[in-house]
Amino acid sequence: MNFMQANLPYLLAGISVGGQYALIAIGYTMVYGILRLINFAHGDVFMIAGLIMIYAAAAMPLYLAIPLVLIATVVIGFLIERVAYKPLRSAPRMSIMISAIGVSYLLQNLALYVTGGLSRMYPTIPFISDSVTIGSATTKMVTLITPVLTLILVVVLVLFIHKTKIGMAMRAVSKDFETSQLMGIKINSVISATFIIGSFLAAVGSMLYFTNYAGVTPTAGAMPGLKAFVAAVFGGIGSIPGAVIGAFIIGICENIIKGMGWTTFSDAFTFALLIVILIAKPTGLFGEKATDKV
Amino acid sequence: MKKKTANLISLGLVAGLFLVLFLLEQVMDPASMLFVVLKKGAIYALVAVSMNLLNGFTGLFSLGQAGFMLIGAYAYGILTIPPEARDAVYQYFDGGIIQFALPVPLALIIAGLAAAFFAFLIGLPVLRLKSDYLAIATLGFAEIIRAFFQWDALGPITNGSNLLRRFPTFSSVIFPFFVAGLCIAIIVLLVNSSYGRAFKAIRDDEVAAEAMGINLFKHKQMAFVISSFFAGVSGALLAMYQTTVQASAFKSAMTYEILLIVVIGGIGSISGSCIASFLFIACNEWWLRFLDNELFIGTWQVPLLRTGFRKVVFSIIIMAVVLFYRQGIMGDR
Amino acid sequence: MAENVLHLDRVTMQFGGVVAVNGLSMDVNAGEIVALIGPNGAGKTTAFNVITGVYAPTNGQVDLFGSPMVRNHPRGKMKKLYAGEDPDAFRGQALCPTPDKITRLGIARTFQNIRLFCSLSVLDNVLIAKHMRARHNVFAATFRLTPRVEREMRQSAEALLEEQGLTHLKDEVAGSLPYGLQRRLEIARALATEPRLLLLDEPAAGMNPQEPHELAAFIRQIREKYNLSILVIEHHMDLVMEVAERIYVLDFGKLIAQGDPAAIQDNPDVITAYLGVDEE
Repeated sequence: MNFMQANLPYLLAGISVGGQYALIAIGYTMVYGILRLINFAHGDVFMIAGLIMIYAAAAMPLYLAIPLVLIATVVIGFLIERVAYKPLRSAPRMSIMISAIGVSYLLQNLALYVTGGLSRMYPTIPFISDSVTIGSATTKMVTLITPVLTLILVVVLVLFIHKTKIGMAMRAVSKDFETSQLMGIKINSVISATFIIGSFLAAVGSMLYFTNYAGVTPTAGAMPGLKAFVAAVFGGIGSIPGAVIGAFIIGICENIIKGMGWTTFSDAFTFALLIVILIAKPTGLFGEKATDKV
Repeated sequence: MKKKTANLISLGLVAGLFLVLFLLEQVMDPASMLFVVLKKGAIYALVAVSMNLLNGFTGLFSLGQAGFMLIGAYAYGILTIPPEARDAVYQYFDGGIIQFALPVPLALIIAGLAAAFFAFLIGLPVLRLKSDYLAIATLGFAEIIRAFFQWDALGPITNGSNLLRRFPTFSSVIFPFFVAGLCIAIIVLLVNSSYGRAFKAIRDDEVAAEAMGINLFKHKQMAFVISSFFAGVSGALLAMYQTTVQASAFKSAMTYEILLIVVIGGIGSISGSCIASFLFIACNEWWLRFLDNELFIGTWQVPLLRTGFRKVVFSIIIMAVVLFYRQGIMGDR
Repeated sequence: MAENVLHLDRVTMQFGGVVAVNGLSMDVNAGEIVALIGPNGAGKTTAFNVITGVYAPTNGQVDLFGSPMVRNHPRGKMKKLYAGEDPDAFRGQALCPTPDKITRLGIARTFQNIRLFCSLSVLDNVLIAKHMRARHNVFAATFRLTPRVEREMRQSAEALLEEQGLTHLKDEVAGSLPYGLQRRLEIARALATEPRLLLLDEPAAGMNPQEPHELAAFIRQIREKYNLSILVIEHHMDLVMEVAERIYVLDFGKLIAQGDPAAIQDNPDVITAYLGVDEE
């Protein structure tokens, strides 16, 4: 009981961060499922969404700013795919990964230019920034909202993938890229849809995530992005439920480690977990095994 | 016969290069940007070539370079700070537990060996992974290494999250050129040897390479360890150049920069990596600096120019190379 | 009786629920040219991949020169899934060497869909195959401390290219060669590993009707010269009938016939497998 009491704030924070990672991780896992690409720029899209929110909230009321952030992030995600990844579709896989790293570099430098290198204050979103007290812990409303909202979005997404035509196309493409192309699936629109969904969820995640922080710096997306990717690998890359579960596990573990006073190692832990998983079960918790044909 | 004359010519070129460097140092202002570019460029050239050995010649997409540089930089710093300076450097750790200093050349080699040793350990599990998993696992290891070196419990050795400083440095541009040049020459010899051919075979087709009797794991491990050795040496050189070392500087962004240098120069091209390093550093530190300064023509302010614009332009150039000029400057020559 | 070179004992290869090779037993004796034939998807290339270590068999044993080289029995998930025969015959210590070890033991192969090192020169392709037998460590090789080793590698590689008529192309990029020459280069490369047993996976694929005849002569010639045994997968019946001394026929992973060319030609099971059953 004492343990619970001492760790409750960390557990809550972990669940909350886990939900935010989950929203980013879905973007990674879907893109990887379809393009076999680690979209290194995804974490930076997440950061850019945070920056847009700052500038939008300064210029207009929140009920306009929030939809604007969602739309702008989706457009950015779509454009990145069209400009930086689509031309390399037939290139070796290393090239497209390098292109993703290039985009990440560009987005960070753009952010640096726009902000002038200063950390900008993230706006307070009423209601989700309010304080609540649960048991012995006082926390922000966002801590409670995040897991609920995450689960709702995931359920909607899973339904979308299983019930709609474009969702079916996505599943087909992730199973077999070439064959689905031959079957007349419009590969490009499926890929665009994937990036749009991923960016949308990253934008939602960024609103929840940055509410807990004072501001957004140009490199603020890199670490959450990497961790979300680890979550996606942990859950079995390509699997949406896997990514979500992986993200919650990582979020919770990381915060409990912080609670134990090992903050230096909270990031390292995530990567240690990644390496253990890759060695013990490279396909992750829910991934499928693929064999190469000789 | 032909080979001999070619060797003589390249020897002459190298001697000429060092002569030019020597003369430049005699006649030019030592604070000139040119020397910054030459020093840093030489160091980056070494680490870029070491990365190219993995990514370009062995086909291993590794993103751990910053981590191995960190190990090299720390090993060098820790082993060369003079005992009398240690009390000041390790002020929070009672002067640390190491109370001797090694000569610089020995420390440079140990810096490389330390990085190589870590690479050996890390390679045991991760080199069995496939391309993109390998990338993310090596990136992860670099982050873990960074966390470890900042750990307070290791403070008596690593000085925790505080700076290492007051170790021997260099002032002449000849030194980094000599060390980096020597290391790059060794890598060139390796790449053109029988083992280098085996690495390239693995890059081209792992299944066929294995069918030709090449032990994949052993050769990948070898490339990984050798590459890390040179990354460690370049880390030590970087420490000497910067005069201080701090673990927090060796982020994954550093690896990305090195990777982009490799790409600009041409994946699989050693000369390309060298040229691209100097270009990259020159643009970054010198030629594109003007983009960061506000400029007025009469009363008209040139738009866009302010702090940070240089990096934006720079990253757009890089993206253009990645997208439209995929072989880089030198292709694979 | 000639020495036994390769012996497969009830080798089964199962992928998930699909049994690609089912209880295959076969032999190759010293100096023999043996053909493995069968319709598409019969499991011939899978058998090659088991012999060369690309796949560990699900069950069975492969001996090379009378000593066990590969041995496995259904393990882990396969215990339940296993659909082949004799699940208990090969219990005990499993033996699953990687392909490079098997090459070192003296088996070389070519690939059905040609796998050259496409970005490297023709000469380099052969030199790479020489790397395994070269006695120098990475340090000596880098600093050129053993020029004699390197020179010998080069000489024998060049001799192999000469024999294949590729000398004038030795500095060309392998990927740029026409198809027929790529096949020859692949054989030169396989010979460079100094094999005792050579596995050829469809060497006549894509050849016009006269060429298999030349190829048959060539296969016999390298057998004499390098003292080889040869196992060949082939669809070209002309080539098989001309070159093979014994033939094994696979259908749906199972051995349906074996014998000399004349016997196979008249075997009703083989005719059925190739032409389908007459339903009348």
